[in-house]
Amino acid sequence: MNVYDEAKLKLAHLHTRRHFLKSFSAGLGGAALASLGLPSYALGANPLGSLLGGPLSPRPPHFAPAAKHVIFLHMAGAPSQLELFDYKPILAKLDGQVTPPSLLEGRKFAFIQGAPKMLGPQATFKQHGQSGAWISDHLPYLGTVADEISFLKAMHTDEFNHAPAQLLMYTGNPRLGRPSLGSWAVYGLGTENENLPGFVVLLSGAAGPDAGSSVYGSGFLPTVFQGIQCRSQGDPVLFLSDPDGVPRDMRKASIDAITKINRQQYEETQDLEILTRIAQYELAFRMQMSVPEAMDITSEPAYIQEEYGTAPGEISFANNCLLARRLVERGVRFVQLFHWGWDAHGAGKEEALNYGFKDRCKETDQAITALIVDLKRRGLLEDTLIVWGGEFGRTPMLENRSGQDNPFVGRDHHSDAFTMWMAGGGVKRGFSYGETDEIGYEPVSGRVHVHDLQATILHQLGFDHTRLTFPYQGRDFRLTDVGGRVVREILA
Amino acid sequence: MNHKAHIVLLLAVLVGCGPAKVDFNTQIRPILNTRCVTCHGGVKTNADLNLQFRELALLGGESGLPAIVPGDADASELIKKISHANASDRMPKDEAALSEEEIEAFRNWINQGAEWDTHWAYVQPIKSSPSLEANWIKSPIDAFVLEKLNDAGLEPADEASCSVLARRVSLDLTGLPATFEQAETLCATGDYEKLVDELLASPSFGERWAALWLDLSRYADSKGYEADRERSIWRYRDWLIDAFNNDLPFDQFSIEQLAGDLLPNPTTSQLIATAFNRNTMTNEEGGTDDEEHRFASIVDRVNTTYEVFQGTTMRCVQCHGHPYDPFVHEDYFASFALFNNTADWDQAHEEPVLLEFESAHQAKGEQLLAELETLEDGARREYDSAENKAIFATWESELENPEYVGKLLNTSKNEIRRIASKPDSSRSPYERYFIRARIVDAESSFQDFKQQRSELKKQLGELAPIRTPIMRELPESRARETRLRDRGSFLTPLEVVSPAVPKMLPSLPADAPADRLAFARWIVSSENPLTARVTVNRFWEQLFGLGIVESSDDFGTIGIPPTHPELLDWLAVHFSEDLAWSQKAILKEIVLSSTYRQSSATTKQKLEKDPRNQLMSRGPRFRLSAEQLRDETLAVSGLLSAKQYGPSVMPSQPPGIWKNPYNGQQWKISEGEDRHRRALYTYWRRTNPYPAMAMFDAPSREVCISRRVRTNTPLQALVTLNDPAYWEAAEALASGMREASDEITEQVTFGYRKALARDPDQNTLQILVDLAGSSSLPVVANTILNLDEFLTKE
Repeated sequence: MNVYDEAKLKLAHLHTRRHFLKSFSAGLGGAALASLGLPSYALGANPLGSLLGGPLSPRPPHFAPAAKHVIFLHMAGAPSQLELFDYKPILAKLDGQVTPPSLLEGRKFAFIQGAPKMLGPQATFKQHGQSGAWISDHLPYLGTVADEISFLKAMHTDEFNHAPAQLLMYTGNPRLGRPSLGSWAVYGLGTENENLPGFVVLLSGAAGPDAGSSVYGSGFLPTVFQGIQCRSQGDPVLFLSDPDGVPRDMRKASIDAITKINRQQYEETQDLEILTRIAQYELAFRMQMSVPEAMDITSEPAYIQEEYGTAPGEISFANNCLLARRLVERGVRFVQLFHWGWDAHGAGKEEALNYGFKDRCKETDQAITALIVDLKRRGLLEDTLIVWGGEFGRTPMLENRSGQDNPFVGRDHHSDAFTMWMAGGGVKRGFSYGETDEIGYEPVSGRVHVHDLQATILHQLGFDHTRLTFPYQGRDFRLTDVGGRVVREILA
Repeated sequence: MNHKAHIVLLLAVLVGCGPAKVDFNTQIRPILNTRCVTCHGGVKTNADLNLQFRELALLGGESGLPAIVPGDADASELIKKISHANASDRMPKDEAALSEEEIEAFRNWINQGAEWDTHWAYVQPIKSSPSLEANWIKSPIDAFVLEKLNDAGLEPADEASCSVLARRVSLDLTGLPATFEQAETLCATGDYEKLVDELLASPSFGERWAALWLDLSRYADSKGYEADRERSIWRYRDWLIDAFNNDLPFDQFSIEQLAGDLLPNPTTSQLIATAFNRNTMTNEEGGTDDEEHRFASIVDRVNTTYEVFQGTTMRCVQCHGHPYDPFVHEDYFASFALFNNTADWDQAHEEPVLLEFESAHQAKGEQLLAELETLEDGARREYDSAENKAIFATWESELENPEYVGKLLNTSKNEIRRIASKPDSSRSPYERYFIRARIVDAESSFQDFKQQRSELKKQLGELAPIRTPIMRELPESRARETRLRDRGSFLTPLEVVSPAVPKMLPSLPADAPADRLAFARWIVSSENPLTARVTVNRFWEQLFGLGIVESSDDFGTIGIPPTHPELLDWLAVHFSEDLAWSQKAILKEIVLSSTYRQSSATTKQKLEKDPRNQLMSRGPRFRLSAEQLRDETLAVSGLLSAKQYGPSVMPSQPPGIWKNPYNGQQWKISEGEDRHRRALYTYWRRTNPYPAMAMFDAPSREVCISRRVRTNTPLQALVTLNDPAYWEAAEALASGMREASDEITEQVTFGYRKALARDPDQNTLQILVDLAGSSSLPVVANTILNLDEFLTKE
């Protein structure tokens, strides 16, 4: 059964309960829901949302979706397309030559100044699978699943600094304050397993995303739709574990007492918000069990651990990939991974194409491949959309910070051309869309803007991106702002 | 005239009257807004037709035919279009036709003269006297409320119990719960007004209302954007606390925040007030254009000012005419021009800043500042000399030459490029001098200047003054020009725009320069129809959970109309005239009303007729704010520190929340009583909000949020159950319970009294005593601190 049918079925159940409850609560849930700003189509279908299921209860999208879940693998710092997927043999020939002024005129870079040198690909490329996808030798594992992937090789964005580019990627706007992609998804769809957060964020690498929690924040949507960071160390969800000296049975007794007294309050005041609160305390109690269970990767068999290359107990991207699979399996709607450290300027060893960058490839290649294989084996890949990419690309030029060559090999930020890919969730297998010029500097065909990518992801979840809106400060806002085109060319 | 119209006319003649008068605001404007102006309004004017303003609508569109002929519906193209038999020629295009009733309303309205009544919010409020009399009425407020209740066939609720009322009014006025003793006194004496007066006089009053203004002013202790580094601006928070505690009248309160720097001989306090509009973000990322982000700050100042003081969504007008409200695109940049002349320019050092010295360093500090001023003045004079102006002109033309730019860049790296990219008025004295030094090759004199300057700054730094970014106007010689921007973009300047307020609102006085001060005075002038309404509505929203205008951030034509327009206007005029803008006085008026004092318990009948309590058929009942919850928990457990003012503090927070790249700052848990300060003193970093407050809907404050959404989620339960800060409070309350008695019933009663200022009923007591039998006192305390009645203002 797809998510659309499931949501409709659940609504039918709610309707029966609704008749039962109507005698004392006519219209109220609808009003409360309206004040929460839930989508109007949800209002019509589920006017008792806040009372019965809450704002996270499943809702059908605009049309039958191709994907139920999204796993977004964000390589924060922006990996170089020229060392991974966008094979440019001519660039190799130009290596070391001074960039002609015609390529620099009117351009603004984050760091490059004066006249930089061209930099050839710092990797060897081979074609893989029946599709013949070009993938570099930095990603030996991924080559084995090339035929599952749709590449977008002519991505472009409007921003060349990390934080605004990440904000644009996730909120459709380079400034802080708008809801993120995952928040929009959960706002529109609710979630399938209310014992877990609907939108989970997993971080790895030396730092969090440059724009902080705003890239998974709910902006002006109610906070109930924000991404919940599940942490590898400490409580997986903040404040999940009971205080020291409070065993489970004691916590149970305490929740029971709260419920009893609150129920009495409800009888005295008839305030329906109390019923919601009772439900949320009981849900919190269940989450205390279900979240650690979902987050415990040690229960996975050894061959799975090996396949992903996990390191239980540590902060690791591989752990997060395995967790993403476990969460999706349990009905989590949107899983967002950030792996930091791809900002290969070459100003230091850790951020050099020939050092740190290669480490990032090693940290992610095996696990991403395992995720695709594992989801496929379990029949989950067809309704799970995997998206891979960074917030922008890198220049074909060697970075020369302040006009002088950097000590290590690196590239500057580049917003005009970069590669992203998708797999599963109703996109074509073994496909590539869009091309850049012979040095990977400018798209020549099949350009895809960040808003187009967002429109496509929402489309796969069953939404017309122009109609998934929220009224704020006098107008209806949407993720794709005033842009966005569904990239139908890559849809299966 | 068609057959049907003949009959209607005939009938009208026969019975001696025409159709009832059509009300534009309730019958016509909503149809225009939902069905017409998307294509024929401020954003788009398809077929050159604009239906937003009468003059434009009468002009008609590209067909040359009049869209509306007042008095003659049949000659009006609009009627033909909306009633066209052929769907493909009919308006609204490709959408369902208007209903017959709607078309009839348009027809009658045009025949009656097609008057465009002004939207209610732009008409001056008039104070009417309610005629109703009843024992229940303690204030005119009650009469307005009772009238609506009577219309709905509802009775007001009984007065809340004395202990519930004591807790409610205390939370509302001071953000802290009443003590059991305060409630006892009220119950014994019945002197409610005395309690209200005590609460209004309490220093906690200012803290509670300052917390609201921190959202409105988008206050944060960090600068925002990627690095999100620290900003010292807490003196503004303290200014707010004092302003409320001293009951600074709202007109003065507003003028000082918007333009305190332009008042004659401004005091330190008036300068600090202007930090209101220095809470905009500052971008420290590499390669960014300072002028672009300065532009973004001005945009934010315009948007915030109109939202906070005018309840107006001016944000829409940055890019095009307002889609619904009568504001044209030029209005935005006319307002922008009022703000566009301040000296700040998106710099990491955030100058202009106010430096405040400890008294021991006061004299030295002032002397150094004077020396710096003299030095920079000298540089400025030199820079402005005719000789230099000529040199700069040459230099700027040479800047166009790529070869020259390259040479400059390679020799002086980022510096020249950064400075060169700015408009001259945005350059600091240092930068001007730098450029001058570059151009005339007077390196040595420049080095002298630079060295003297950095020496003075170093000495100033050693005195460790408190730094607060403030507003300062540029002198006339460096005044910035404001241009209209095509589609609102920084990159597309069009013609020059003069400073002014929106054309359809009363104008600025003609006898004073059109600057920020004139604007601030205009905001609180008696002609401004919005300020007092927006402000009293915000108080009402804080106390009752919903504003009289529910869309408290939008008083425009698509905002939600007031449930009690006469009440709103009475409050507005009473506040601004009778009470001379006293915020304490208007709050007192409201909390003394019978309306406010009602019990919040509801009935089946009220749930049906007044489900969201918009008619005020009962007292308010809703979850406390993030700040109130923290403060209440700390207060009842005995942990709360009474310390006021000062730099923001870092209460307990789990490790690993702060993890920004390019910013090594750590969350270092404060020591001693600073761990237990009121929520408004908590360090507010925009990209990593304090989790326990964010979960209770506190915004991250990148921009002004004038209306928080209230959610009810399981993660909130986890905070109050398990957050170590909340658990610590439970343990503290438990020790109090233990000390109070050896007997369990008395211990539970003690804890409940502390938390809720009343005795538990028998049933509740029994449940808690039973729980104590199977758990521990801290668990019982934690349970009490998680009861709905504790989390809720009842």
